[in-house]
Amino acid sequence: MRLVVVLYLGLLVGLPVGYLFIKAFSHGFHAFWVEVTKPDAIAALKLSAEVALIAVPVNTVVGIGAALMLARRKFFGSRALTLAFDIPVAVSPIIIGVALVLAYSRIGWFGSWLASHGIQILFSPIGIVMATMAVSLPYVLRSVLPVLIEVGKDQEDAARTLGAGAFRTFWQVTLPAIRWGVLYGVTLTIARTLGEFGAVLVVSGNITGKTQTLPIYIFDAWDQNFDTIGSFAGALVLASISIVALIILSTLRARERKLHVDLA
Amino acid sequence: MDTPAKRPSSELGAPPARKGWRRFSSRARSSLGLYGGTSLVVGYLSIIVLIPIAAVAAHGFSFSIHTQGWGAAFWRWHLSTGFATFWNDITQPAAISAIRLSLWLSLSVAAINAVMGVAIAWVLVRDKFPGKWFLEAFIDLPFALPTIVVGVVLLFLYGTASPLKIDLFETWMGLMLALLFVTLPFSVRAVQPVLESLDGESEAAAKSLGAGGIRTFVWVVLPSLWPAVLGGFGLAFARAIGEFGSISLIAGGLGRTTTASNYIYNLTQGFLWTNAAAVSTALLVLSLLILIATNVFARRIQRRLA
Amino acid sequence: MSISLSHLTKRYGADTVVDDVTVEIPESSLTAVLGPSGSGKSTLLKLIAGLESPDEGRVVIEGDDVTDVDPRYRDIGFCFQHYAPFRHMNVARNIGFGLRVRKQPKDVIDAKVAELIELVRLDGKAKSYPAQLSGGERQRMALARALAIEPRVLLLDEPFGALDALVRTELRQWVKELHRQIKVTTILVTHDQDEAMEVADQLLIMHEGRIEQAGEPTELYERPATDFVHGFLGPTTMFKGVSVRPHDLELVPASEGAIEGTVQSIMELGFEVQVTVALSDGTAPWVQMSRNEFRNLHVEIGSLVSIRERD
Repeated sequence: MRLVVVLYLGLLVGLPVGYLFIKAFSHGFHAFWVEVTKPDAIAALKLSAEVALIAVPVNTVVGIGAALMLARRKFFGSRALTLAFDIPVAVSPIIIGVALVLAYSRIGWFGSWLASHGIQILFSPIGIVMATMAVSLPYVLRSVLPVLIEVGKDQEDAARTLGAGAFRTFWQVTLPAIRWGVLYGVTLTIARTLGEFGAVLVVSGNITGKTQTLPIYIFDAWDQNFDTIGSFAGALVLASISIVALIILSTLRARERKLHVDLA
Repeated sequence: MDTPAKRPSSELGAPPARKGWRRFSSRARSSLGLYGGTSLVVGYLSIIVLIPIAAVAAHGFSFSIHTQGWGAAFWRWHLSTGFATFWNDITQPAAISAIRLSLWLSLSVAAINAVMGVAIAWVLVRDKFPGKWFLEAFIDLPFALPTIVVGVVLLFLYGTASPLKIDLFETWMGLMLALLFVTLPFSVRAVQPVLESLDGESEAAAKSLGAGGIRTFVWVVLPSLWPAVLGGFGLAFARAIGEFGSISLIAGGLGRTTTASNYIYNLTQGFLWTNAAAVSTALLVLSLLILIATNVFARRIQRRLA
Repeated sequence: MSISLSHLTKRYGADTVVDDVTVEIPESSLTAVLGPSGSGKSTLLKLIAGLESPDEGRVVIEGDDVTDVDPRYRDIGFCFQHYAPFRHMNVARNIGFGLRVRKQPKDVIDAKVAELIELVRLDGKAKSYPAQLSGGERQRMALARALAIEPRVLLLDEPFGALDALVRTELRQWVKELHRQIKVTTILVTHDQDEAMEVADQLLIMHEGRIEQAGEPTELYERPATDFVHGFLGPTTMFKGVSVRPHDLELVPASEGAIEGTVQSIMELGFEVQVTVALSDGTAPWVQMSRNEFRNLHVEIGSLVSIRERD
């Protein structure tokens, strides 16, 4: 059986990944480098990074906040809240893009109101940020909540009896206790944020140099210009970031297993 | 300590002062905090997720702002015309074919990976061999890789210019390979922790009673795995049915290989937003139903086990 | 009076966990709150601490009505069953936490922490992390942490419940000694009656949210107010239609007031022996005696004996 499994994995997963690396450098490192440093490519990378810089912190704060509420208090509608957070994961990114357009663009519900205030959603970075926030929403909550529940209230109660207020308790007691869960969730969020394609494609209108994130750029390179090397070069950059994220996640998971051994 | 330390009215002992707003009872303040926090989170959720999803459902039935008034005429128009438009949109042959394709592709892929997921998890948990950690990392790779990267790579690897001398461009096989790739982690990770928690005692008991390897597996191990397997199936299915980036390239422009997501995307490129909304709503409802069914099934089995 | 609780009530949904509790806790005493699981004793402690809010009633600590006051300002020390150590801080920083909250200068904190580490006998472990300590050491650290702020009340919630029997007995004695030194009003919640009897000045027995009896341990043991207290504080057996303590019975040669029966079973448990005797009326009370006493009796299963109450 081991053989079957290894074969399946090797062919299904290993082959494409290996091919990615081979093809990206198939015309030599120099050609790769040229592609990666093209102005449009850099602009795409820059936009992706900026979007991530907004989406990740917001979703982290919201995720931790929601986790605190759900873990520490039983309130009416907590079940609904958890379900609502899971929606972006269960829904196709295309549909999320369509949803945002139909709610906030000029043809949507709030479009005219927003336009009169000078805010444009469709074909603009704001729309891209919103789409990215939507698809990467639940990851921090999902990884922090179980940790928060497991760590339990006692440490926080102890801090309270010793005189600590809400902020101090959070910063000095709660956050350090859940830090690996937070790190895991943030890494996942970053990976998702940088790699989002479908939703951004619908919302951004794909204007080269202006509203292209890196994934869109990769798509465009092939779709419009049949630029194989350019496309693969970009893909490799994106994949490398994801692989780094993956290594971080695996390390965190191994560490979490070890941590379980010396919990009181 | 020699002297018994009677509690001093101490410099040390004074608790933090109760100034300003802290005078209010702790119960009142924490409730306020909870309400404030909840409103912020709910507000954010609404703007980013809830309102947009509602907009999709509504627009599918032509609930755009650009209609007449809010009175009875409004409702009559929407109930008749709106519903008619909706029905028309989703019963287009192209739409039906796309939805059907997505459905059977997702169900088959989820099923295949449910089986392979158990096998892979089994090897990961029970087998020991050098380099196993490498295999572990491999499992998560499809989850971490951006969909467009997968799409581009698979297009070139299995498509017309393939170095493997195969051409899966615009074929169902190509779509399947892509979907198997991206849904693999869900199937494996759903089952793995359950397998890990099985301590082997029941299996040892079965063996001591004379059961062989396969029989032990089917009668002892599998029953406790069912809920997890179903859970993994549900997750894989949900991912597959919405998948876009990794399959849109290898699908090409052929109607036969246009999945639901692809079809909706094409509609948006043609600015047919109401149409797109209608099909999206249909897809959402379908996936929701299947997910609920999987969930109910899993829970029923779980109840029988407990 | 140090702590005064009046009509304290706490409900969770349909359950009344603490039911109209009114009690006075004397200053500088070591009071044990004893009761079976679910009797509400931990909740009562948390109400005093402010970690839970009562539905009815008032909590008054040394004259201050603290019922609506946050635990931060109640000036109490609390120890948890599972120690609740701040896992990412070492022992010294754990103990010094409350002092840092009170913005004490560094040298004052260091001195106080060193003093406490010596007091709880954790010398040399100042830089260790909770994960590196044993259970008993963690609890001692927790105690030091609570005492660092010099609270006016010390609350211990089943502090030894998670420890081995040997460590438990050791720490029990040590807390009693500590209390003798530091004389802070202490309330200890436990379900272990040996612990309560050994350690406490005053004993409160709780059952289903209410206080069954309060008083000195020996008083409760000898003059239990209710059947529950009687049964909870020690073994009982039925003799002559009344519930009595097995060690208040003895086996004697036939005489006045003694009832005849046959020895049904003999259990030798180290220092004590339990002899069950079957009587003609169908009951089978058991008698608790010392090993020596048993040996002098020369009885075995099936022997004819007589039971009566000791004088």
